[in-house]
Parts: sequence; structure tokens; C-alpha cells
Amino acid sequence: MVCMNEIITGLTTKEKLNILADAAKYDVACTSSGVNRKGQRGSLGNSVSCGICHSFAADGRCISLLKVLMTNHCVYDCKYCLNRRSNDVPRATFEPDELCDLVIEFYKRNYIEGLFLSSGVLRDPTYTMQRMCETLYLLRTKYRFNGYIHVKTIPGASDELISMVGYLADRISVNMELPTEESLKRLAPNKSFGTILDPMGKLTSTIESHRLAVGKTARMERSGINRYLMGSIFNEKNLQKDLEAYKAELAGQCSRGTSQRTIAEVFTEGVDADKSSVDAAEMKEEAVYEIQEDSSSYILSRSSPLPVMFGDTDRRRAFAPAGQSTQMIVGASGESDYTLIHTAQRLYQRYDLKRVFYSAYIPINEDSALPALDTAVPLLREHRLYQADWLLRYYGFHADEILSETEPNLDQRMDPKCNWAVRHLDQFPVEVQTAPYDLLLRIPGIGPKSAGRIVRARRYGSLDFDSLKKMGVVLKRAHYFITCGGHMMYRIPIERDYIVREMTDMSRIENWQVAHQNEQYRQLTLFDIGLQG
Amino acid sequence: MKIFTCEDSYEGKATCIYRAWEYALGLGQGAAGHREVGILREPIAQLDMFAEYVHIDGDPVITEKFTRSVRRISPVVYRNVFYALLSDCDEAVDAVYRYLILAFREGSRVEHMLIQPEVMHVMELSRNVSNESHKFREIARFTSVDRKVYVCHIEPKCDVSMLVADHFADRMPSEHWLIVDDGRRTAVIHPADGDMYVRQLTDEEFTVLGCAEYEEDDYTDMWRTFFRAITVEERRNYRCQRNLFPIWVRKHATEFMQRDQ
Repeated sequence: MVCMNEIITGLTTKEKLNILADAAKYDVACTSSGVNRKGQRGSLGNSVSCGICHSFAADGRCISLLKVLMTNHCVYDCKYCLNRRSNDVPRATFEPDELCDLVIEFYKRNYIEGLFLSSGVLRDPTYTMQRMCETLYLLRTKYRFNGYIHVKTIPGASDELISMVGYLADRISVNMELPTEESLKRLAPNKSFGTILDPMGKLTSTIESHRLAVGKTARMERSGINRYLMGSIFNEKNLQKDLEAYKAELAGQCSRGTSQRTIAEVFTEGVDADKSSVDAAEMKEEAVYEIQEDSSSYILSRSSPLPVMFGDTDRRRAFAPAGQSTQMIVGASGESDYTLIHTAQRLYQRYDLKRVFYSAYIPINEDSALPALDTAVPLLREHRLYQADWLLRYYGFHADEILSETEPNLDQRMDPKCNWAVRHLDQFPVEVQTAPYDLLLRIPGIGPKSAGRIVRARRYGSLDFDSLKKMGVVLKRAHYFITCGGHMMYRIPIERDYIVREMTDMSRIENWQVAHQNEQYRQLTLFDIGLQG
Repeated sequence: MKIFTCEDSYEGKATCIYRAWEYALGLGQGAAGHREVGILREPIAQLDMFAEYVHIDGDPVITEKFTRSVRRISPVVYRNVFYALLSDCDEAVDAVYRYLILAFREGSRVEHMLIQPEVMHVMELSRNVSNESHKFREIARFTSVDRKVYVCHIEPKCDVSMLVADHFADRMPSEHWLIVDDGRRTAVIHPADGDMYVRQLTDEEFTVLGCAEYEEDDYTDMWRTFFRAITVEERRNYRCQRNLFPIWVRKHATEFMQRDQ
């Protein structure tokens, strides 16, 4: 019946593109990074690991990939989603060949870096995934496309299909959407933690085994900086330690019993009374079993790898070489930043995710379970979460250093790194001539690049504030926390209240701009108040 | 003070540096001789009353010699020098000259000596060129002529068209395409499955190629549709868009072009 409608309306490719791009725009991930692949004669495309943004839309977000849905028909009814069954929106479905042609021609004109393919659920997850798989297969074989492909898996699709798209795509992602089981049940009644975490775990195992088979490390490459950071969440010792701490915490929780569970907890908790699905229940038992069995491994090998799909040629194809990612909605349910950041850290550590994306909730649907339609989009909060996420991946911070249970939300007035610094004034000021790399990275206003330059340059002479500035240090933030050659830049007290006041004042305009970026202003004219000329 | 001037090409600049160096050493004052020379790129806006100006023509043999000796210092130094010479900054050639004095003395250590103003200056220049070439890899837009040849127009400040073309040679090896630098009137031409080459365009060729930019088909139209559809209205942020996609590079971007042009 669904298809009938379309035949009658006879949508052109352009109309379909309009509908399906519009339906896909709330997905945040649009990165083309993480994999280097040379071009080949006779094929079209290559991939560079730094990623390439081709354009920037009016919302300032980058357009790197052709971000579309295969179809926006959906049998599910997730409350927050524009394409939910109960919404009356125009619907369309791409034909595989139609979409392939679009990708190829856009790519040749250098509009895009590749394809980002997601989908609503048409008929059932397996059928939908088949269509997506068919598209990717055509693109890679018939159209000889060698560029970047990011694909979303549909919760509930079969392992074989997920495995198949893994071989065809560069990055594969399963959307977490909500970090606790309780909000998931409330807002996405057709999904469960099981259907999200099960494929995620299997993907992790498959990627891992493929990496080992071609002689790479089991875990994804991380920014080179992490090698120098003893405290990094990716440091092997820390992975091990975190796992231990986590198991202890778990044991405590099992005896206490908690009401709000986050993703990682679900995995390892014991038998629970209200299991939402058989899947989830099985997973939990499996996970608990494996933790007990293999306590020496820091990666939880909780899932079996996905089935082999291409016979002997399998090993020659990379399986999702750019890893997997996920996204979480911010502000649709009541989770604190602490929960979000903790969940992100666990996803990075346990599932070896390459990225976690945060998406400020935009009220598009009216529903009693959701924030009201006139709720402001939490843009500043999203911005702070990304900053915190970067601290985890590039600066050697831990979730517990950024937030705590007593202070569960990020400070809106200043960024999390400044916030950490003013809470740890005992460690400052730092002498840039002698400070170790990891300490330099903790100074607000100094990033991986400038820290690297400082370390290299100071071997050949003494630094001064002017040369620091040229190396890219943001002195307006850094000068509160550093000395250079024994002197601070200005005579100022190293005192918490003073620095907080100065910092708040400094970031005020910036923060206001982030929070109100979407409001448009117009000068009031006499016509507005009813004076006609 | 003797000022050597050169045209805006790698060959011209490299030969000029070599000749100036030769002259400085010929003065017999050792390293102090370098202070007696300067290098400028033509055209020269304002002449110095007390300096003598010498024009140097590019010479492939000397360029080869120059390149070989710079390469011998270290790959990073060579990259920095090569990129800095592509810069459109007026002092770029002279900055490279000063950098090389230090580089020949210190060897590959010079890579890390950011404390030295000469090193910092060249680092900034080469970073600038490399950023610009990345920018144009992102925003170069091809138009298709009958889906056979793809033509791209760019107008970069620095001479990055070759760097940009390198990227596309790997990406689209089996397509006919060309990248035209509108400012310099040069084109990098890439025949399918062949080797690309650079050529200076004649006026006629330039006019003909200029028309190709406004070639319209279903895909340019659909790209604009997509560009509009992907915007989340609730988050619109023109400031951010302008930051990341500056107005000066929008001239040749399909999505910002007016249709009636």
C-alpha cells in the first residue's frame, strides 16, 4: 500500500531528495574521517583520514556526506522522531539505483565526500536493511565507488545483514539515542537496550578480529597524543583499572539495586526483574558470565563476531575500517551531564567507539512525555558536552575529573577545562619551560598542537609570552595559570573567586552567542509599533 | 643593498634565491654578506632609493640544484620551503632565504627551533598554504560538460592549484577533468587514466572555460535542494556558516551561485 501511494504520486528524484534529506537532517554525525584509502584506476574515489567538509549549511553544520534516509516510512513510533508512524508527513523511498547515481554524480562534482545512509523502518527491520545493503553493494560493485560510506544499522536487523553492510561501509553506527533504559522505554517504546547494544557489541568484536587479522592493534587508533598521557582513558593500564573499579561498583549495585540504569550497567547487572525483552535478558546473562570468566582482559569480549559473508575474500576487505559511532539526544529526558559523559566514556572504553555524538533535542513533536514545543534548544549544553568529550579523547581527562555525582552538570558559564583548572588551583601556576606534556595539556588555552610546539621549541631556547602567542596559545585564558621564565604575564592573584569572575566575564558574549545562535534580531522600526508613513 | 627580483613561479623564486646566495657569498664577508641582499617578488610596488634591483629569470638547471640541496637538509625543511614559496605573501621569498641560512647551518634541528623568528615565519607561511590548499580541496566544485569532462574554477590567494589537483588525481583517476585558477589563468589538465599537466591559458581558452562554470543540469539543481533541505531551521547560525565558509570563497561554489547568472 505504501509503495502504491508513491506510484500514484510519482515523485521525481529531486522531490524524494528533498523529503529524505529533510528527514535525515536531525542525525548529527556527518564526518568522513578515520580512514585513509588510496584511489584506484577505474574506480571513483578515495578517502583521507582527516576528513573533508565540503560545505556548511545555514545552521553552520558541515556537509560532508550526502545525508539521506533510504525511506522515511516507519512502523515505529519513537516519540522524539519526526518520522514516527503517528506523524503526518510526506513520505518517500529511494530506489537503490537512483540513490547510487545521485552519489556518483555528486561525488564527481566534489559536492560530497560520500554517502551517509540511514532509514526509517519500512515493513520490518530486515526488509529495510536489505534495501540499504543492496544500495551499498551496487555502489561498491556496479558503480565502482571507492569513497566514504557511513551506514546506520536498523535495530532488529539480522546479523548477516549487519555483517554485510560492515564489509561495504567505512563507518557503521547504531544510535543509542537515550542513555538510560528507563527513558528509552518511555520515549522509544519499540526499541530496547538489547536491540541497540547487541549489534554494537557484535560489531566491536568483529572489527577487533578483523584488525588483528591484518596485523593492527585490537583497538582503534586514537589520537597520537594519548600515547604520552598516562591518565588517558585509552591507556591500557587505565582500561584495566577502570574495569576493576567498575566491577566493584557493580557488586555494590547488585546488592543495593538501583532505579536508573545506564547502558553499561545494564550489561553487567545480574538477573533483573523487569527485563524489557528476551534479547536483553540473554545479553545480560552472557555479559555477566564472561566478566567472571575472563577477568584479565580489559576488553569485554561479550559478543561473538558477526557471521562471515564474503567467503574467502573476507579478509581482504576491511570491516568498517573507520570504526563505529553513536549518538545521544540531549535534553529530551532528564539525564544529567554526568550520566551522559560517563556513558560516553564507557562506550569509548568497552565498545571502542570512535565517536559519540550529542544532539540537542529540538522539540518537533507534541507529546506529554516530551518537553513542551516552546522549550529552548539546549545548544550551550550540547556545546559543553562536546567540549567535555574532547577532554576525554584528546586531553587525558576522565569523566570523574570533569563531573561528579554531587556536581552532575557542566558549568554553563565556562568550559569544562577552565572549570577543572579553577577547582584545582593548587596545581597552578605551571612553568611552561619545564612542565611535562600532560600537565601543559591541562592548562586552559593550551591544546595538543601548541603543547607539542612548546615541548619542541623549548629545547632550543627560552620561551616568552610573545612566542607562546605565536605558537597558538590562547593567552587570554592561559595567563591565569602559567608562568614563563618564572613570571606571570600580569600581576594577578591566583585565587578562585577572582579567576572565576574574570573567566565568566570573558566568556559571557561567547556563551550568549552559542545559546542564542538561532534567534534572529531586527531593529525595531516605527512601522512595527503602528506608525504608518 | 642589492635586491633580486623574480616572477611568481617556483622556478623563478628558487633560481632567485640561488643567485642571491651566490652573490652574497661572493662579497667575501662570510655570513654577513647575506645582510646585503634581499629578494622580492614582482611586480614591485615601491622602489627603495638606495637599493640596486636585479631581475632574475627562472632556470630549470639551477632550480634542480636548489631543490636537491634543500631536500638534503630534511624532508620537513623541504616541505616547509616548497609550501612557503607558493605563498602569496610579499615577503615569502625573502623569509625563505633567511630560513635557509639557519637551516644550512643547523641541519634538520631547525625543524624544531620555533623560537627563532625566521623559523616561525616560514612555519606560518607554510601552514597558511597548506590550510588554503585543504580549503580548496573542500570547496572546489566541478561542473560537468555532457557528463564527460568536469571543469572546476578556483581563485585561491596562494598558488595551490597543483596541490589541489594532486588530491583529485588520486580521487578521480579515470575521469577527464581540469582545474582552472582564474586569478593566475593557469589550468591543471587531467586526461582520464593519464598524467596531468599545467598550462597557461590563452584568452580564448579562458573565455570558453569560463562559460563551463555556469553549466546547469539536474544535479546542480538537486545539490541546491539538498543544501537547503539539510539545514535545521531551529539551529540556524549564519555567523558560524560565514566563519567556516567565508564569503570570498563562495564565488565559485555551486550552492551559493545565483541561477540566472
